[in-house]
Amino acid sequence: MRIIGPDELVFGVDNVEDCRTFLTDYGLSDAGDGRFEALDKTALTVRSVDDPELPAPLKTGSLLRLTIWGVEDQASLDAIEAELSKDREVAKQDDGTLRTKDDAGFEIAFRITRRIKLDLPAELVNSPGAKPGRAMNEVAANQDAEALPRTLSHIVYFVPDMEMTAKFYIERLGFVITDKFTNTGPFLRPQANNDHHVLFMIQTPAYMQGLEHLAFHMQGPTELMLAGSRMVQKGYESFWGPGRHKFGSNWFWYFNSPLGTHMEYDADMDLHDGEWVEREVPMDKEAAQLFLFENIEKWNPGGPPPGKG
Amino acid sequence: MEPGWAASRQGVTQKLTETTVTQVLCALSDIPDGGSKGVLPNARGRDQGFVVRRGAQVYGYVNNCPHYDRAPLGWKKNEFLNGARDHIMCSAHGALFRIEDGQCTIGPCLGQALQPIAITIQDGMVLGEVPSAAPAQA
Repeated sequence: MRIIGPDELVFGVDNVEDCRTFLTDYGLSDAGDGRFEALDKTALTVRSVDDPELPAPLKTGSLLRLTIWGVEDQASLDAIEAELSKDREVAKQDDGTLRTKDDAGFEIAFRITRRIKLDLPAELVNSPGAKPGRAMNEVAANQDAEALPRTLSHIVYFVPDMEMTAKFYIERLGFVITDKFTNTGPFLRPQANNDHHVLFMIQTPAYMQGLEHLAFHMQGPTELMLAGSRMVQKGYESFWGPGRHKFGSNWFWYFNSPLGTHMEYDADMDLHDGEWVEREVPMDKEAAQLFLFENIEKWNPGGPPPGKG
Repeated sequence: MEPGWAASRQGVTQKLTETTVTQVLCALSDIPDGGSKGVLPNARGRDQGFVVRRGAQVYGYVNNCPHYDRAPLGWKKNEFLNGARDHIMCSAHGALFRIEDGQCTIGPCLGQALQPIAITIQDGMVLGEVPSAAPAQA
C-alpha cells in the first residue's frame, strides 16, 4: 500500500474568516472554496461548522472533521478498499476517493494524491571543511525572502487507545514504527514516504480525542525562523519553539491557531528506510528536544557605554 | 515573569501565599464590548492574563489552559473567544470555557476551570487582584 502521507485535512469551524487570515499569514495560499494550499498543493480546508457536507464531528472539542491520505496509485487504493472492507463500511465517492473511519473513530479518506512534485533548492549553507553550499558572492540573508510551507508534513492525534490505533495503521495500512515514546505513542511512517513520521499519536482520556497538531515542512531552519518570527510580529501566539526535536531531528516552531489545534513549522526531518531499527525512550523534556529557544524582540549592540548615555 | 505567575504557569502545586496586590489592568473602554483583551504583559510582552467584557461586566482569568502547564489560550493578541463569542476558546486544542466562571464545557480540560482574577471596575478602569508573592516554602 503506497500511502504517501496526509494530503488534506478538513475542519469545521465557527470562525472561518479568522482562519482565513491566520492560514494566509501562516503562508498557505488561498485556493478558494475554503482550501489553503502549500506549495505542493497539500492543503487544509476550513468550512463552516454547520456545513451539511462535513463528516460528523467527534464528541470532543476537536474541530478536525476529516483526514485525507494521499496514495501513489489506483492499485494502492484498491488494496486499501479490499483490506478495510473486511470489517467496516468503505464508501467510494464519484472521484474514486475512499471514505471510512479508523479504529479510534477518526473520519479518514484515501485518494490518489493531488500533490505536485516540487523541484526547489534546499537551504544552502557554507561550512568549513565542506564544499561551499553557495556560489561566491551569493548572499544568504534576505529579510524579505519568501518563507512558504512546502508540503503537509505530519499530524498528531490524541487517542484514547494508542496501542489499538497504532495497530490499525501498522497492520491494516502498512505503516511502520520509526521511534517510540514509552506510554505516549509511536512515530509512524507509511510505505511511500521516507520522512521519520507522518503520523504520531499521544495517549489521552477519551474526552480529549482530536488533533494535537499538524505540521508543514519548510525549506530549512532559516525559513522556519523567518516564518515564525513574522507570525510573532503579527501578534500570533507562539506555543513552543523555535527548537529542534530529537526523534526525527526536525526543527520546530508551534503556534496556537483559530482551528483549535497547534500548527507547527518544521524543517530538516530525518529520512528512514527499512534498514532503520526503532528507538524507544520515555517521554520527558530532555527527550522532546535537542534545544529550545524563544523569540525576543530585535536588538543591536552599540551606542554609548552604560551610564554614559 | 513575576514569581506568583511563574508558579501558576509552571503548574507548581504548592499553595501560594495569599498575598495579592490590586493592579490596574486596562481601561474598561480598552476592551471591546463582547470581546476580549490580553493584560499583565511579562517582560517579553506576553500577556499573563486576559479579560472578557460584557457590557459593564468584566471577567478576568490567568492566561493558561489547565490542560498543559504552559499553554496560553489565545491564537492572536487579544483574541481569546470562539467565533460565536459566547465562550472562551483555547486555541491550542479547541477547549471551550464558560465566560462567567471559566468552567471547561468541552475539550481536553473537561471538568477543570480557568484560574480567575478577581476584577473590580473603578472610575472606568479595570482593576485585578494579582498574586504578588513567591510560592510558600514547603
